[in-house]
Amino acid sequence: MNVYLYNTALGLYLASTLVYAVSLASNRPRFERPGYYLLAAAFVVHFASTVARFFEAGYTPITNIYESLSFLALCIAGFFIYIRKTYRVEMVGSIIAPLVSLVVIMSLGFPSEIRPLIPALRSAWLPVHTVLSFLGNGIFVVGFFISILYLLIEKEIKRKRSFLFSDRFPSLETLDRINYRCMSLGFPFLTAGIITGSIWAGFAWGSYWRWDPKETWSLITWIVYAILFHNRLALGWRGRRTAYMMIIGFLLVLFTFLGVNFLLKSLHAYV
Amino acid sequence: MKKQAIGILGLNHNTAPLNVREKLYIKEGSIPVLLRMLREEGVPESVIVSTCNRTEIYFSGEDSEEMMEKVRRVLSRAFTAPDDWFTAYMYGLSGEEAFRHLFLVASGLDSMVIGEPEILGQVKDAYRIAASERSTGFFLNKTFHKTFNVAKRIRTETRIGYNPLSISSMAVELAKRIFGTLDKKRILVIGAGEMCEVALKYFQKQGVSDILITNRTYGKAQKLAGEIIGKARPFETLFDLIVDVDMVLASTGSEEPLIDPARLQAVMKKRKNRPIFFIDIAVPRDVDPAVNDMDNVYLYDIDDLKDLSQKHLSDRVRESEKAQVIIDDEAARFSEWLRKVDVNPLISHIMARAEEIRSKEMKRALGRMGVSDDETVNNIDTMTRALMNKLVHPYLALLKENGDPAVFDTLKKLFQFEDNDEEDMDSGDKGL
Repeated sequence: MNVYLYNTALGLYLASTLVYAVSLASNRPRFERPGYYLLAAAFVVHFASTVARFFEAGYTPITNIYESLSFLALCIAGFFIYIRKTYRVEMVGSIIAPLVSLVVIMSLGFPSEIRPLIPALRSAWLPVHTVLSFLGNGIFVVGFFISILYLLIEKEIKRKRSFLFSDRFPSLETLDRINYRCMSLGFPFLTAGIITGSIWAGFAWGSYWRWDPKETWSLITWIVYAILFHNRLALGWRGRRTAYMMIIGFLLVLFTFLGVNFLLKSLHAYV
Repeated sequence: MKKQAIGILGLNHNTAPLNVREKLYIKEGSIPVLLRMLREEGVPESVIVSTCNRTEIYFSGEDSEEMMEKVRRVLSRAFTAPDDWFTAYMYGLSGEEAFRHLFLVASGLDSMVIGEPEILGQVKDAYRIAASERSTGFFLNKTFHKTFNVAKRIRTETRIGYNPLSISSMAVELAKRIFGTLDKKRILVIGAGEMCEVALKYFQKQGVSDILITNRTYGKAQKLAGEIIGKARPFETLFDLIVDVDMVLASTGSEEPLIDPARLQAVMKKRKNRPIFFIDIAVPRDVDPAVNDMDNVYLYDIDDLKDLSQKHLSDRVRESEKAQVIIDDEAARFSEWLRKVDVNPLISHIMARAEEIRSKEMKRALGRMGVSDDETVNNIDTMTRALMNKLVHPYLALLKENGDPAVFDTLKKLFQFEDNDEEDMDSGDKGL
């Protein structure tokens, strides 16, 4: 059931991507809405697939690369739907839809069968720690792309020649606000993810903090976002600088998520 | 019966110099009179479009050559102008060329500033006046409705009117790229020139909430503040004013830049780096160009805006080629439709059908009554004829006056009129 729903969700994500692509290529804003609705429908089906997998497996399905990528994609799509509600930025979906499709397709490259949960993960902390961490990661992914978009549009306006991106995408001020929203929501989730992870480690590994690569890089990421958060609130950093920081922060998230697993030896080797 | 044709006699900015255009300009108030003169001359349908760049008379009648002569006669009677003006400066087109020209005009392709949108409104007004004067009938109604359709299609399918050309509208456009909506934004004006007034009207239309005006001569600031709804502020507080606004429009006669990066840096700190947009239309410049390199500061000076305007104009020229393709396509289809749709056969059919029913029913009634004296027969004949005419008349009137193909189709079905063409105009015609 979960696989069937998952494939349906992917189909809808791809359909949304296609509609958005048509909208961009033909320069017809009236395709933005259908593109968005397809994306929202995909999210609902994707969510149902995750719930189905939860019941079929008997545990929170964020225990391997396949499940994690799926859940990450779900968080990205969900957060986009959330910001769309406030900012009416349908067109940002033209980045989110292909991105989510790509993450889902990537997940299909990893083993997907449901296996009995390994003892180390049998804990009430599993859903708490993973859901919080991935919500944070998903939000930072959106922040990363919003920041790139911001920099592109800022450059266009400063260069005064062509307005390829700013013709179709939201204004600088809107993007900056979304960026702030990403930061102010992503940071608490990241913090909570690290704290719950540490508590869980205390139970499972006997020590709250042992400078495992995953822990170390999470901390580095956290410090970067903390600096960004401070600078924005205390020093009034805005626009370009915060966009750069969001990009650096995301690259660290990416490294902590994937790099540590594949490149460094870590106890945290499930995902 | 000869087929109706559409024609045009007119002049525009390409064919006539300004003094001729001025002379032959027709004020809105005088249009009804001229329309009446045209009807009295025997031109059944006409629409007069007159703007500062063109005066054009669209007409429809059975013989376009003859109609054109009639229009020319009316014009030379109505205007005290040399007679050769009506041939030397005017162009006459008929048939497909005529409505093709109308499509071009309404879409802004024949305008001096290519793609400008005002002309469509002017053509619509011209049509409305003619329609309310009952100077339009089936053909011009249809032609103008089609025209509005084509103009709309060109607006949505090409970017002909997309990029603004005027300094003011470009400034608004750029501000929107930075701020999104200009609703509740604040703008500061430095200097109180006439240029500012025009630009400010644009910004006001976008919902800018506060307009602050400052000028070395405080009185001038107060005067401009009175003319538009704004607030005058002393010039000495310039940098304090910049702290609280989102946009600055500068146009003073100052020899030296008033705003430099160093002092602006301090202001940006006080603003907590909220973005600020400078529009510097002064020569020499009021804002040091280096401020554009500062974070969250955007500066466009008069040369930037002029370059952008040039670029937008060339974009429009490129888009006008796409528009031409649409017009070719629509003109071909409209011409095909005109060839097929001819109300006369349908009118004769309706009359014949009504007459058939009338004579059959009358004969039957007479047979039943068993009367045969001429007077009674005549009376019944007159009565039924009057009845028939009164019943049929509204249909025929609708058919003659209304250019809507839906009416044509409904009546065709209602009276079971079969002709060889079942193909009709595309459904897109309905959204006028």
